[in-house]
Amino acid sequence: MDLNMFSNLLTGFIAAGTLQNIGFCMIGCMVGTLIGVLPGIGPIPTLAMLLPITFGLDPLTSLIMMAGIYYGAQYGGSTTSILVNMPGESSSVVTCIDGYQMALRGRAGSALAIAALGSFFAGCVGTVFIAGFGPPLASFAQKFNSPDYFSLMVLGLVTAVILAQGSVLKAITVILIGLLFGLVGTDVNSGATRYTFGISTLWDGIDFLPLVIGMFGLVEIIRNLEEETIERQPISTKMRDLWPTRAEFKEAIPAAMRGTALGSLLGILPGGGAVLASFAAYTLEKKVVRNPTFAFGKGAIQGVAGPEAANNSAAQTSFIPLLTLGLPSNPIMAIMMGAMMIQGIQPGSAVMTSNPELFWGLVASMWIGNLMLVVINLPLIGMWVKLLQVPYGMLYPAIIMFCCIGVYSSNSEPAQLLLMVIFCAFGYILIRFGCEPAPMVLGFILGPLMEENLRRSMVLSRGDPLIFFQRPISATLLFLTACVVALIVLPSFRQTREEAFKE
Amino acid sequence: MLRVKSPQDLGAGLLFVFIGCVGIYFGKDLTYGSSRAMGPGYFPIWLSTIIMGIGFICLVKCVLLNGPPIDKIPLRPILCVFAGVLAFGYLVETIKLEPALILMTIIATQGRKDTNQKQMLILALCMAFASVLIFVVLLGQAMPTWSGEYMSAFFSKLWALISSARGA
Repeated sequence: MDLNMFSNLLTGFIAAGTLQNIGFCMIGCMVGTLIGVLPGIGPIPTLAMLLPITFGLDPLTSLIMMAGIYYGAQYGGSTTSILVNMPGESSSVVTCIDGYQMALRGRAGSALAIAALGSFFAGCVGTVFIAGFGPPLASFAQKFNSPDYFSLMVLGLVTAVILAQGSVLKAITVILIGLLFGLVGTDVNSGATRYTFGISTLWDGIDFLPLVIGMFGLVEIIRNLEEETIERQPISTKMRDLWPTRAEFKEAIPAAMRGTALGSLLGILPGGGAVLASFAAYTLEKKVVRNPTFAFGKGAIQGVAGPEAANNSAAQTSFIPLLTLGLPSNPIMAIMMGAMMIQGIQPGSAVMTSNPELFWGLVASMWIGNLMLVVINLPLIGMWVKLLQVPYGMLYPAIIMFCCIGVYSSNSEPAQLLLMVIFCAFGYILIRFGCEPAPMVLGFILGPLMEENLRRSMVLSRGDPLIFFQRPISATLLFLTACVVALIVLPSFRQTREEAFKE
Repeated sequence: MLRVKSPQDLGAGLLFVFIGCVGIYFGKDLTYGSSRAMGPGYFPIWLSTIIMGIGFICLVKCVLLNGPPIDKIPLRPILCVFAGVLAFGYLVETIKLEPALILMTIIATQGRKDTNQKQMLILALCMAFASVLIFVVLLGQAMPTWSGEYMSAFFSKLWALISSARGA
């Protein structure tokens, strides 16, 4: 078993070690760091916008680059949090609390180093986690049948709901609307066209690109445009201040380890991901650490090490459900799944057996990428800080250009841009009505799959819905779903959930 | 008299009911089938019904529970961005990539009051050519451009020069 893992990892390193793959891994990490550093643009819109570029690459290379952007953003996000007290990225919100206080105390360099090293450690552990947990989970998933898959998707979507911000009821509806949008186009089984309103652009379904770029890329721009520009004055640091003291290390190492463990676990859960992990890790640190040298909120180094390690390990382990079960656990993974499907790969347990280079190459690239990121982030920190001075007024025209070219180049139809504008408007209205649009993309991706699995299950059982409770795997998954639903309804949990998001 | 206590819920409720109704109305022509043999209309009708149901719950909630108001929607930046994007989409075929991008930038940036027009023009110009370089020359995407051919020719010549220098 163990030996097998090493030979598998070797395959991965050979696949990922080509010049092209390392190059794109580097590009992904750079772009990730960049968007992590810059407030106002996060990984979801970036991945959406860069999706068209990846079409020309081979599947492994494009996945390597996109993964690099996601975990690269976890590194970059901490820089802005610590130096400017403004999260560059939502998973670094908690890092602001203590990181900025450390910076005010003159320990900015140390906070940055701890964040980067903690993330690196977490990244390595996360990689081993995927390598260790992926194969058993995938072979288990081979036992899954249509009813089990249907129940798994129900569980995934419901869990994604409680972890989304805002009203649970609205989040459920947004996912359902996503499912409905996913059904638009020609039905594979009957050949009937559904909800196309006679528009030929919709015959093949709603294109993934205008939907995600409109709902995330353009919406993000409009939301930023309405806010007043804030002067960003970073606290200056010098290279020689970077190394933390022995006492700081002593406090940070256990915190980083706790954060890594928690993040790795939360990443695997459906609905989990980097944002959740960083919040949970901060709460854990506050509970566990009795006498920090500096209190939490006053520059405790544990408050930087824990969440930063957690968000990076979660960013990596959240690939596990996607690659082994074909279930995207959060909107970012849904975009990854979209990218894989456009490349002609159906994510799921079959990936590991039919396409081992893809799985292991991606795993290996994560380790390479993490190593690159430490180098990109620590010695080059000054360069990234300078980028903070680029005003948003210069930035956003470039982003809109990217959106337009991306959507237009994928198939040269003006109607696609109209579709993008429509989805942007829709996403914006959802936000104004207090609904988070991000879960919609989960539903959109899973819509056709859910329908197909439901149809097959019903054929198997001759129309008896009890089949979902008769199969042990499916019944277990539905039981878990029921537990999650019970949690949502339970008033005491509701309160903690609301408090957690308030912080 | 009913009073709206939570405008956001009112908006969401109306939106959900609307989407549900559209889903049911246009789904009713599709074959529903039966649960034993689901037709193309089966799943969408179910989804639409649930969406509509939750919409009604939101509408009930909006008169019972207090909620936050709907933030003001700033029309100007939104309309400018939309107009810019659509102008790009419908003109790029005729006027080609570079002018379309510059036009798009000019329209889209009118949304901000503090836009420095001169700076913006220079920026738009640089970015338009950078886009041609990245997307058309380097990534090889097929789009109508004015300068793409010249740039490609320039780079292939440069490349030939470098390789011949290396060979010598």
